[in-house]
Amino acid sequence: MNIFSGIIEIFTSTDYMSYVWNGLGKTLLISVFASLLGLVLGIIVALVKISYPKRKKALCVPNAICSAYVTIIRGTPVALQLFIMVFAIFAIRGFPVEITAILTFGINSGAYVSESIRAGILSVDKGQTEAGLSLGLSGGQTMRLIVIPQAIKNVIPTIGNELIALIKETSIVSMVGIVDLTFAAKIIGAGDKMADYLVPMLVAAIFYLAVVYILTFVIKYVEKRLRRGDRT
Amino acid sequence: MSEVLIKTVNLEKSFGDLHVLKGINEEIKKGEIVVIIGPSGSGKSTFLRCLNLMEQPTGGQVIFKGTDLTAPKVDINAQRQKMGMVFQHFNLFPHLTVLQTMTLAPVQLKLKSKEDAEADALALLEKVGLLEKANEYPNMLSGGQKQRVAIVRALNMEPEVMLFDEPTSALDPEMVGEVLEVMQDLAQSGMTMAIVTHEMSFARRVATRVMFVDEGVIAEQNTPDEFFDNPQNPRLKEFLSKVKNV
Repeated sequence: MNIFSGIIEIFTSTDYMSYVWNGLGKTLLISVFASLLGLVLGIIVALVKISYPKRKKALCVPNAICSAYVTIIRGTPVALQLFIMVFAIFAIRGFPVEITAILTFGINSGAYVSESIRAGILSVDKGQTEAGLSLGLSGGQTMRLIVIPQAIKNVIPTIGNELIALIKETSIVSMVGIVDLTFAAKIIGAGDKMADYLVPMLVAAIFYLAVVYILTFVIKYVEKRLRRGDRT
Repeated sequence: MSEVLIKTVNLEKSFGDLHVLKGINEEIKKGEIVVIIGPSGSGKSTFLRCLNLMEQPTGGQVIFKGTDLTAPKVDINAQRQKMGMVFQHFNLFPHLTVLQTMTLAPVQLKLKSKEDAEADALALLEKVGLLEKANEYPNMLSGGQKQRVAIVRALNMEPEVMLFDEPTSALDPEMVGEVLEVMQDLAQSGMTMAIVTHEMSFARRVATRVMFVDEGVIAEQNTPDEFFDNPQNPRLKEFLSKVKNV
């Protein structure tokens, strides 16, 4: 069978396309909520690590937890983390496995995002903090109103990369039985349907590419908007 | 006798093993224009930065209007609202326009309504000749314009004292004049000022008192005319002769 006509066959079959759309929906659902969770965790961990040298006593325990978190998550494969979460920690009857996947990828992403955010905050000139404090703003206000807005601009490209990587990494949820875009392609390619894996995999690839391409475009636009006040 | 605004008692500062300030006892009275000069590494900037606790002193006290700023329970943020500071490298906020930069702190700290803060900011900008720059971002300004904005940013908090940390050292020579002019006007308006600078003629013209900081102590201080025409301290004599020869 010709690859091109195979692709046409998938796009014109409502049955096949419903697998694709549902799979894409799952992929996006997990990616969006996991990246939001990752962003929140990343900001918290970054702020704890940044504030720790100034408040050693109060943040001793949180800092130790954050350090262990980042080390463990970054040091182990995400597929293994997913298996541990699905087959051990959340091996509860009736617990939606999609939520477990969101938690896994969110926690995973948070560890990476925290490091980029930390680097972004540290890259803001110390004079900015001093200027804020000299005006009588508190440390928190200075961070929120002066440092973080500038840090965000610095971290958008790396966070964007992280998001793109996350979308593609979620394809391993097909290993725990979630019908995402990758799993949908596998179903369509099975013997009782097309009996050809190459074509549906190519279709899945087209959709992944499209999502990543659109996201890249959005990231570039956001970056450009935020850069308008920069030194030329 | 004027009210004492800032008083330091045996002020000390060390960075690790480096003993920068070695016990400074000094007073700055309301309305004074104190210019602080000294060789690089003498501790003059550190002394200035200790006055609003940008640097945490390692010993002694800084007393601002009767409040010991080094006391553990003191609300340093509230005290800093009354002490404006101008930095060598301007430290404007690149993500905010000039007007936003000037209104951020007074509005956030609920000292002024947004309307009042903006009206005051525009009046200050007009005074320093930058009214047409109100909606520009800092990257569109020259160095001299940036520093003038930094000065009015601090002034919009209506401080009782202004601290200047080498305000013209990072400027191109042709822009030094416009910043010194703003500072001179400010001095004439009665603002209390402490200025670390290398601009000797400005010091002589504007200061009410000039201090020479050397190796962590105030080695000599006097009225500007006496200070420059009749220096006593041998290190000061040497310093002035070097500066004048340039």
